[in-house]
Parts: sequence; C-alpha cells; structure tokens
Amino acid sequence: MATTRVLARLAATRTAAVRPAVFSRGFASVTDTSARDPISKAAEKIVPDPARTVVPESKTSTVKEPEPSKDAKIKTFHIYRWNPDEPTAKPRMQSYTLDLNKTGPMMLDALIRIKNEIDPTLTFRRSCREGICGSCAMNIDGVNTLACLCRIPTETTKESRIYPLPHMYIVKDLVPDMTNFYKQYRSVKPYLQRTTPSPDGREYRQSKEERKKLDGLYECILCACCSTSCPSYWWNQEEYLGPAVLLQSYRWIADSRDEKKAERQDALNNSMSLYRCHTILNCSRTCPKGLNPALAIAEIKKSMAFT
Amino acid sequence: MAFIVRPSLLRQSFASPAAAQRVFSTAASSSMRQTSPLVQQLRPAFARTAAPKASRIAAFHATQRQQILPPLPQKVVGTTNDPTPIPDPAPAHGSYHWSFERLVAAGLVPLTVAPFAAGSLNPVTDSILCALLVFHSHVGFESCIIDYFPKARIPKIRSAAMWALRLGTVTLGVALYSFETNDIGITELIMKLWHA
Amino acid sequence: MASQRVFQLGLRRAVAPGFRVQPVGRMLQRRLAATSGGNEQSASEILAKQRLLRPVSPHLTIYKPQITWYGSGLNRITAVILSGGLYIFGIAYLAAPTLGWHLESPSMIAAVAAWPVWAKVSAKIAVGMPFFYHCLNGLRHLSWDVGVGFNNMTVQRTGWAAVAASAALTLYYAFST
Repeated sequence: MATTRVLARLAATRTAAVRPAVFSRGFASVTDTSARDPISKAAEKIVPDPARTVVPESKTSTVKEPEPSKDAKIKTFHIYRWNPDEPTAKPRMQSYTLDLNKTGPMMLDALIRIKNEIDPTLTFRRSCREGICGSCAMNIDGVNTLACLCRIPTETTKESRIYPLPHMYIVKDLVPDMTNFYKQYRSVKPYLQRTTPSPDGREYRQSKEERKKLDGLYECILCACCSTSCPSYWWNQEEYLGPAVLLQSYRWIADSRDEKKAERQDALNNSMSLYRCHTILNCSRTCPKGLNPALAIAEIKKSMAFT
Repeated sequence: MAFIVRPSLLRQSFASPAAAQRVFSTAASSSMRQTSPLVQQLRPAFARTAAPKASRIAAFHATQRQQILPPLPQKVVGTTNDPTPIPDPAPAHGSYHWSFERLVAAGLVPLTVAPFAAGSLNPVTDSILCALLVFHSHVGFESCIIDYFPKARIPKIRSAAMWALRLGTVTLGVALYSFETNDIGITELIMKLWHA
Repeated sequence: MASQRVFQLGLRRAVAPGFRVQPVGRMLQRRLAATSGGNEQSASEILAKQRLLRPVSPHLTIYKPQITWYGSGLNRITAVILSGGLYIFGIAYLAAPTLGWHLESPSMIAAVAAWPVWAKVSAKIAVGMPFFYHCLNGLRHLSWDVGVGFNNMTVQRTGWAAVAASAALTLYYAFST
C-alpha cells in the first residue's frame, strides 16, 4: 500500500515536465483578475451582465459516448456550463450522449459518469448520493431536485436538461454560490434558545405531542431546492428569507423547549422577511424530501396574526 | 466616448484572457485554440473546443435582450459567517397588515356573491363593497410594487410608484364615492351593463 | 496497513539511526501550480472580484410550467387587470365632466347596448374570465391562510378546478346575456 503510493508520487514527479497543458490545474480565476490590471484600468468597470443569455445547445458541440455498443440506449443530456476562467463568456448548454446501459439509474450517476469518462471539466457538488446531504441540488428537466434522488427517464427520445438551481450566482457549471442562503439561515438563529434550566436539572423534556409538531420540519436538509423554486425568492433574494429558511425558523418557533418564540416572530414581522410569501406553492411541489415549507410558512403567518 | 474606450477594451478582452489561460486555465480546450482541425480531431472529446470563439470572449454584447431589472453583479455584505441583517419589527407592515388584508379579502367573498345572487341592491352593502374593493386593490398594487421595485435598488422609482398609487387610490375613492352618491352604484351598473 | 507503517518506520530508523525522519511529502510531493499564500484580506478581495463576474442561472425561462406558479402568476395578472380597470374607470369618471365625456350610467348602458353581439360577448369574456378566476383562486388563498389544502395533490386539483370552473362560468355568463 505505502509502496504503491510512493511509486505513484514518483511517477507524478517524473511526468511533470512533459505533462500536457490539458491536465494542468490552476487557479485561473485568481490569475485572471490580476491579468486585467496592467492593460487597462477602464476595463475594470466593465462587468459582464449577470443576466447574460445562455448559448443554446444547438450552437455548441455534442460530446459523444466514447465507445457505444451495438444495443446502446443513447440518451442526450444538455448541461449548463460556465467557466470562471472565461469570465466574460456566456454560459452555454453542453450536450453529452450517454449509453444508459452503462450508466447508473440516477441523474447523479450520469453526471459522475460524464465527469469520470467523458469530460473531467464538468463541475458539480455531490456527497452522499442518497439524498441526505443536499449537495447535489439542481434543476433537472425544469424542476429543482436532488440529482441523487432523480431517476433518469428511460425513454431515450426525450433529452434531459440540467441547470444549476435557478436565479443563483454561479461559481462554476452546476455549482451555485449559497453564501446568501446560509447567511439568511444564520439570521433565524437555528438553535435552541433557553434561559431557564430544566426543573430536574437534566434534559429539556417534551411530550409526545410536542415532539410530533417537529415532524416534517426537522427532516429539512437545507438543499435550497424550495427557496430557489420560489419566484418571490428569485426577485427579492436579499430581503425575503425564502421557504427553506422560514421552515427552519418555524422549526424553532414550534419547538416547545424554545423560549424565544416572540423574538423569533418579531424578527419576521416586517413586510419583507416573511410576507413576500404569496403562497405560490412551488416550494412544496419541488421538495425532494417531501416536506411542506408552504404549510410551515402558513403556520407562522397564522401564529402571528393579530399580534 | 465609446470608440475612445473601445480599443483598450478589445485589447484587454482578447489579449489578457488568452495569455492567462494558456498557462493556468482549467478548461481543457482554451490553451489550444489556434490549432488545426486535424489536431482537434485527434484530441479526446473533452479537450476539443466546445463553444465557438465568439461566445467565449465577449466583452460586448451588441444584441442584448432587454430585461426589466436584470440582476446586479453579486455583492455579499459582510463575511460569510455574518447573518443577514434582521429588520426591525414593523407589525403595521407585517402581521397587522396581513391579518387586516385577509379579513378584507374574506369580507369581499359574501359581498361579491350576495348582490348578484340575490338580485337585491342594497346601497349599504354596495358602499361597503366599494370601500373594501378600494382597500383590496390598493394592497394588491402595493404588493406588486414591493415585489418588483426593490427599495434598495431603485429607491426613487419605488417611492414614486408608491405615491402614484396613493394618489390613484384616493382618486378612486373619491370617484366611487361620487358614483355611489350621484349615480346608480357599482353593482347596479355592472348588472345593467351585463344585460345591456 | 498499520503494521506495515510501523515496520517501515522501524526500517528507516535502523538504516539511519542519527538521521531525523523526514516527512515523506517533502521529498516526493511537489506542487505544480505555484500558489502564493496571500493573506485573508487579499483573498476576500479576489473573491469579491470574482463574484462580480458571475452569471445568474436561468430561472423563469427554464422552470417547468406547473399549475402552482402559473396559477399564481395568473392570479396576479387577473388582479392587475381588474383593479387597473377599476382605477382607470375611477379616474376617467372624475375627469369626465371636464373632458366632456359621458360616463354616467345611462349613457354607458346605452353605448354598450348599441354594440354588436360579438363585441358584447368578447367584452364579457374579457372581464368575466379575470373576475371569476381571481375570485375562485382567492377562495383557495383564503383556505391556505387558515392552513387547509396544502397537500400537493390537493393544490394541483384545486388549481385546475379553479381554471376549469372560471372558464365554465365565464362562458355561461358571457352567452346567457
């Protein structure tokens, strides 16, 4: 084991000099910003439009399955690509064809196979491959879901389209920047707030009924599928908290052990944080965990009515 | 002005990314842009140039689809570990507003159905209907303005729209008052127009 | 594996007793891309610069048409049509005396009565469709506000029911004179 590692490292150093540029990895986004400097300061002000249109797949090439067998079930995937190394370029839809017989059943399997065998530059987040980490949330065939929980439709005539989560700033390819989402999550103070100790000095007890209220709330994995499916969140991302964060907020409002219910409600009691929800219900429709953020938001509104 | 700026921009947009990417790009294809088609064919599929050159380098988009309020470039206030600011509680724009609006909406249901179903025209219910309609419309438009005219981004247009709406609502209130008092009333008018 | 390591370590010590064990990486690992270790300040500046260049992923144009958000959008559009009509009527009614228009009810009714049938019917459809849809969808909204009907299937059924019922009511009232 150790010897093989050593050998591999030796091999890596040996080949470094003749290594083709194709496989070199760099931090081009970093170098690119500095590369701008010496030439023109005026260009610093030119920022590419974040809403630039996507180059459709008809104008990009198709990367084919490497060695299709005779009875191959070839399916086409159009995948959103944007490379921070070419920051002013438009995002584009890159097509890939895959043999479904050689691919696993889920969309994530297809993506991993593309990355492993066809195009290693494809970038996406994934971790648990079983729907518990929420990393691989993306827009597949128009609906936000987890790639690891989404089956590849077996009819090969229908082409699949994979986009990142809608209306998010894109770091690269299918990876959105979730900073704002996490900052919003932080703003609802997602932890138990309590000052009085428990009567017997041990754990904070709940009755079975009180515990039951948290079912359908605690399962949320914060994949942001619901928030990014919400048109209200698309338009007012900075101020409206979005379904996922509001569901988390309600998870603590509904918790019988929490003693800061009023403060939590006050934090939502303005025109933007909570009341930009217009009960569009895309959130509940799209939740890959089968939760109901819209109901949670309605419960918050109800609990705050006339107070 | 534009043509003064342009040469430098072009130089910037063509020269610098190419130079930078030749060495550092993670994109497989960018370092070999000027290669022959044959060489292209011999490469593995992912290393071929996927997008046309024009779409890779585009400092200018001459034909840009006009959008209403396209998103701004990303700016994050504070560090990643700071929470987003929590607004001060304002129940008048929050819970009271919502509750009152729901009451009005619920009240509109019987008031809309009753006169047309019963065929009886009561001036009292008619005027209540008008008042609630004015309020409901005002809140609805207000909600549209809040949704589509973000305060942080276009404060002047936002407040102008709000004042225009207030003016319009007051005008509507006066108009409906005079229509109710001088004329036949809104439900009666709709009924007669419908059967005209 | 652990025993192997121990063995290797022991072997090394046996070979060079006075020699300090060097970390393996120092000899064998070499970074190919030169990265200068910047401070936190410059790192955040670089990130901020890169953020400015990021595109926003497509949204309205790629999200699947579903009764949830299409119905909601229709609700708002019909609301704007109805309320906008009301506002325009109100302002026109106040301005009518000065502009010399006749917006008193008898003259309006007479004017509409003079229209051909197709104009009447299409006007009724144009007003009736938004009105009925907004009313019926408003009932759905009121039920949601008391926390009823959030099941996905219920939402879809009531959504389509609202569309169908408003179409039926519109046609009925448009043609029944």
